[in-house]
Amino acid sequence: MDISIEGIVIISGNYGSGKTEVAINLAVYRKNQGIDVRVADLDIVNPYFRTREARKQLAELGIEVVLPPEQYMQADLPIISRSVSGLIRHPSTLTILDVGGNNVGAMVLASLADSFRGVSYQMLQVVNPFRPLTQTLDGVLKMKQEIEKASGMTISGWIGNANLIDESTTETIFSGYAFMKQICESTGLPLAFITAPAFLLSELNIDQLLCPILPIKRQLVPPWKQAVRLKV
Amino acid sequence: MSKVLMKGNEAIGEAAIRAGCLNYFAYPITPQSEVAEYLARRMPEVGGVFLQGESEVAVGYMIFGASACGARVMTTSSSPGISLMSEAISYIACGQCPSVFVNIMRGGPGLGGILPSQGDYFQATKGGGHGDYRLLVLAPASVQEAVDMVMMAFPLAEKYRNPVMIMGDGLIGQMMEPVVFPDHLKTEQLNTETWATSGMDTRKSSTRNLVKTLYLDPVQLNAQNLLLKAKYERMKKEDVRFEPYNIDSDYQVLIVSYGTMSRVCRTAIDNLKNKGIQIAMIRPQTLFPFPETAIRDAASKESCKTVISIEMSMGQMVEDVERCVQGRKPVEWYGKCGGEVPTPEEIMEVVQSYLTTKRKEQN
Repeated sequence: MDISIEGIVIISGNYGSGKTEVAINLAVYRKNQGIDVRVADLDIVNPYFRTREARKQLAELGIEVVLPPEQYMQADLPIISRSVSGLIRHPSTLTILDVGGNNVGAMVLASLADSFRGVSYQMLQVVNPFRPLTQTLDGVLKMKQEIEKASGMTISGWIGNANLIDESTTETIFSGYAFMKQICESTGLPLAFITAPAFLLSELNIDQLLCPILPIKRQLVPPWKQAVRLKV
Repeated sequence: MSKVLMKGNEAIGEAAIRAGCLNYFAYPITPQSEVAEYLARRMPEVGGVFLQGESEVAVGYMIFGASACGARVMTTSSSPGISLMSEAISYIACGQCPSVFVNIMRGGPGLGGILPSQGDYFQATKGGGHGDYRLLVLAPASVQEAVDMVMMAFPLAEKYRNPVMIMGDGLIGQMMEPVVFPDHLKTEQLNTETWATSGMDTRKSSTRNLVKTLYLDPVQLNAQNLLLKAKYERMKKEDVRFEPYNIDSDYQVLIVSYGTMSRVCRTAIDNLKNKGIQIAMIRPQTLFPFPETAIRDAASKESCKTVISIEMSMGQMVEDVERCVQGRKPVEWYGKCGGEVPTPEEIMEVVQSYLTTKRKEQN
């Protein structure tokens, strides 16, 4: 099953749920299918490990990353680029907005309310059930509610991102999938796709997974590890 | 509890709760603010208290006050914040109050930057505040070790009635790794009978406890300093911690490195090993007390030609390494700061440059 997502896609979730890895890998995946893709880094919360870290790689692949002005790039100030509202008014075939974590990070969306007026979009919440705040259905729903309240927007679907980084196993993926099915049933919202580390793909029995899978090649790695090269 | 994926800062907060710390005071600063955010939510769930002070100066004295009353207490901050707390730390050391300070270091001096650094080595191990005091300093290299060290820090602080500092760089705070939490510490009630100013009603003895830092009588002040010194000597005997790496090989270079920097070195050592070059590493897990004997012994090995201190600072730990090696082998330094973290390739190049220089000298 392919991922055929289009339009404006807002990637939200609690921090550490893996929004940025999902945003980067989704951008490359869709670019590979010949689609025009742009990504905006709206993370005003995280000081490290942001989309901007992968901007060079993405630019080389022909994916434009909309970032705060260069001189503010290392600041821990809540700056978003002016061009973001232009991006919303004139989107690419796929426009990915990578917002910061929790309700605090989602607050940035409220400030873009004017630009969003009359524009259709999807807002997907990334869930990793191995993160402490989203280990239970109640935890996930609470996070959803807080993000919706802060952003003034409504979550329209889910992204299952169950992982323990390098220690992920097929069991991690299957238990995460089962958890996401439970969330979809309880909320009536669709599962857009789940993710799986690229290194696990060959071991996964995908017949048991009734949804598209986004392979993740990890980009935001600590300095002693090597990011997996992204290719178009 | 099964494995969860946590940011270092969150994990430090959870570990404190599991160590029985129900008093946490802090002031936000990047890159450690998630500890406060996490504990602001968690403390009320476990009947604990999080209070944000009006500044780090205030927080330092809130820690002093709570620990003087016999409470198990912690704060977290980052470099400039620790500078502001340093006065209180000196007072707490003099007043002999157990407490835990966590420094998620960022680049300095001054306001510096928000990226990882190890520039506070001198501050943590040689003072920071005034007077003759020492901190027991723990340096984790992974999120799991940060958890283990927080849980270890409280009993150590209580053993010595002294502040313990955990030195993590920004990466330790910000990166995510899978962690497992040990069950709650079966912490005995802190034995505060003989020293805490917790009121007379609960105490058996009728002598008043007094926590103080003013000793106008020089004989008394000298005696107080001797008492503190005896504790620091005991730390050196009983609580030195380090991890050797590839130490049984016939290594030509010995690296001394701590924290996340040591993980970059480890990757470099593995890569060099694949090329047939043997390098060893001593990773201090306690920066004070410093693993003096281990470094001296490792440097003394015949195959070892050079010792290199690799730090995210401009040559701080190298002074301790020189002190340990005592001139037996040349001691070099390599480092970067300001948030630039040396890559494994850089470390390999540096190490190899010493090998070729050595060879040239022999020719």
